[in-house]
Amino acid sequence: MESDTKQTTAWLTAPILLSYAVFGTLPFWIEAVGLYHYLGAEILIWVIFALGYNLLLGYTGLPSFGHGAFLGIGAYAFGLAQFEVWPNLWFCLAAAVVVTGAFGAATALFLSHRRGIYFALMTIAFGQIYFFIASKWTDVTHGEDGLLNIARLPVPLGPVELPTAGNIEFYYLCFAVYAALVVVLWRLTNSPYGRVLRAIKQNETRVAFVGYPVTFYKWSVFTLSCAVAGLAGGLFAMAQEGAYINVMSLQWSGIIVLMVLIGGGFVSFWGPVLGVVLYFVARDVLGAYTETWLLWFGLMFMALVMFKPQGLAGIWQELVRRTAARRRRPARATEAEG
Amino acid sequence: MALFEARGLHKRFGAQVVLEEINLAFEAGQLSGIMGPNGAGKTTCFNVLTGRYKPDRGSVRFDGADITGMAPHRIVARGISRSFQIMNLFDEYSALDNVVIALPQVRARGFSVTHALDADTDARDRAEAVLDRVGLKGRERVNVRSLSYGERRALEIGVALATEPRLLFVDEPTAGLGTGATARLAELIKELKRHTTIVMIEHDMRFLFSLADRISVIHWGQVIAEGTPAELRENPWVRRSNLGGLA
Amino acid sequence: MLLHLLPHILNGLALGLLFALLALGFMLIIGVMEVINLAHGSLFALGAYVALAVMAPDGGLPFAFLEPYYALPAGARYAIALVVGPLVVGVVGMGLEICLRRTYGTDPLYGLLLTFGAALVLEEVIRSIWGSSEYFLPIPREISGGFIAGDLIYSTYRIYAAVFAAAMIGVLWVFLNKTPYGAVIKAGAHDSEMVRALGYNLTRLRLLVFGFGAALAGVAGIIMAPIWGIRPVVGVDAVIPAFVIIVLGGVGSFWGAVSAGIMVGLVVALTAAFFTDWSLLSMYLLLLLVVTFRARGLAGKSSVLEA
Repeated sequence: MESDTKQTTAWLTAPILLSYAVFGTLPFWIEAVGLYHYLGAEILIWVIFALGYNLLLGYTGLPSFGHGAFLGIGAYAFGLAQFEVWPNLWFCLAAAVVVTGAFGAATALFLSHRRGIYFALMTIAFGQIYFFIASKWTDVTHGEDGLLNIARLPVPLGPVELPTAGNIEFYYLCFAVYAALVVVLWRLTNSPYGRVLRAIKQNETRVAFVGYPVTFYKWSVFTLSCAVAGLAGGLFAMAQEGAYINVMSLQWSGIIVLMVLIGGGFVSFWGPVLGVVLYFVARDVLGAYTETWLLWFGLMFMALVMFKPQGLAGIWQELVRRTAARRRRPARATEAEG
Repeated sequence: MALFEARGLHKRFGAQVVLEEINLAFEAGQLSGIMGPNGAGKTTCFNVLTGRYKPDRGSVRFDGADITGMAPHRIVARGISRSFQIMNLFDEYSALDNVVIALPQVRARGFSVTHALDADTDARDRAEAVLDRVGLKGRERVNVRSLSYGERRALEIGVALATEPRLLFVDEPTAGLGTGATARLAELIKELKRHTTIVMIEHDMRFLFSLADRISVIHWGQVIAEGTPAELRENPWVRRSNLGGLA
Repeated sequence: MLLHLLPHILNGLALGLLFALLALGFMLIIGVMEVINLAHGSLFALGAYVALAVMAPDGGLPFAFLEPYYALPAGARYAIALVVGPLVVGVVGMGLEICLRRTYGTDPLYGLLLTFGAALVLEEVIRSIWGSSEYFLPIPREISGGFIAGDLIYSTYRIYAAVFAAAMIGVLWVFLNKTPYGAVIKAGAHDSEMVRALGYNLTRLRLLVFGFGAALAGVAGIIMAPIWGIRPVVGVDAVIPAFVIIVLGGVGSFWGAVSAGIMVGLVVALTAAFFTDWSLLSMYLLLLLVVTFRARGLAGKSSVLEA
């Protein structure tokens, strides 16, 4: 990540505004490029999930390989809140966030003292346990059938209620959530709290020995990333109009890791966004030609880990730095001669 | 009563007893040294004293309060800090950023999510002052990976200093340094001595004997000798073990 | 009541010895490489799939044209599978080691991510070739079926599996402790720098040990196939017990791994006896318990292969 002393104080940066422009106008041009509106919602939902996830992986260096479970928990929580308590959009989304955050907080109690391989294996174990519970607790989750008929709740704004049933309307709900969340997460990662996270990734021991309660920081960032996953899960339940167990499997938990690293989550706030977009483009464009597109995505991941772990965003940053350096050099030469 | 006391420390790893009945006392305002051959248990001792490991038996007291087995961050909050023998720096950061994060005022805001980082000019000034003290003036913006070995050693101490400790533990600060850098380091430590109590593990006997007020010798996990440098020069074990020419 | 558990205990023993074999391969790799091979389970699964291809003409691959080969008796094909399977998996393992070389000396997080990615890729490769449906390995009639002894039904295959695994563990022990190659591997596990200084090619040692560890996983996969079934997701379920075993048994200890393996196998099999659905889950719960209460650092390991 960029050096701390260059951090911006701005709340709305150029990249954020650019993302608003691109995502805000998406329904108008998505079909012109041969894709479809629902894809836009899918992308934004996974972007939200990925941005929350990257707080863990890219910023704090904690490899959670079971995070798909929390996306699933968020979806189920949304559905159950809708059916059992109150079919109000804000309430159900809040329920998804709080319930998933609570699961995250409880899980993190086991994880916060660990890092590296122990952390990774524990997250795999928890992911599989939650997956198992979701598929067996059929009274609540309806097991392999899934929780069906989750409605796309309308947006209550005082006297008015905005419908979200259609793909374009639903897309704009997702966009609104994204627009708010991206600003919050941007501030968070550029705050003192974010700085401590980045230090933990570089040298956890030293952070403890300069006086920070590292275990608590790790617990808090895990819980936070799960809360964000819950939010994405709630939107996901509406998108699919159902909650299913498949996203809680290890395979899907692995896909978020692929997305985030390939995009450049280790070095850039926007890495996860790039990774998610690339994944869905690969799925829909490559997938039309070959069934093994996910295999290629996985191989790309391995190649990047080996040669360019800073991912696509990192490669982009490198290019920018090199062209800037090249432009400066000729000027210096003439100065020396002059 | 000494500023820092360890009594009856005992530590084993698996079947191996690494520390046995360690008693140490460090007086305020002094530089206390710890020496001994490799594998004697010096760094393990440091790790127990600074909270990295819990002792199986025994107690550690700082300024009268029992800090045995306390988590490292709590010990730091009480005014103890340490540098590491194998350097523990933030490799992606500049020298300045390494120091800034260790400052108590920055630590106090560690949970703030709204405070703007680069508006913190006071923190930056303090960090620059620390870097100046350890001889890194002008190198503040340089990335750690681009610093020379000697500069990184200086930064290692700088980060520990930044926490504004009353008691500073320094683990083999001269490791790998050439004569010039070692001389500069000796000057730095002499200057630090005037404001901070220091406890230092060192292999370089000339270095240690020129700076320390008292030295404890650890061998086979026990304190086998203790005294001023002059007293230790007469100690038969020290003379026999030939730990670097003291003649 | 306890007597009724005897078949389950036998199952547990067979399962445990196979887990131990898997864990020993896992440990060998850690010994010379300090890498936790998250793809170990996928290599385990791959072994089963290769055996499937060798044994059955409709085992997912278009080998039906090799009719004369498939006309061979099942026993012969099974023997071939037991050789070809570990060989193929060993080669894949060596390929993985070559990929891992780029991550040596960097943040261990990258090695972890790479083996994780490899596990996913291997699973996808298996899915692309064989699909996601479940297969069954056709085993020779001599070792299948069951028999009745004293009012209880025992599975012949489980006995065979237990004996085979025990034999393999014995052979491995002899190899590590009585042959010069084994001595080099043990030395390399203890101090890789020294081994290099003594003139051994450390790079080649790591490559071969990784391949060997992978091959052990492959064999375990083949023997386990009739017990667990052949599915692409089996890979994940296999890394967990391997890890639990080495944490319980201690990274350095050969017989610690064997006894821990038997213990884990018994836990899984006995859980299956009472709560069939929960047997796989018991492994994950065991991992949580073990890591929470007993994890010692895997770094600072003593020699991996001290018996």
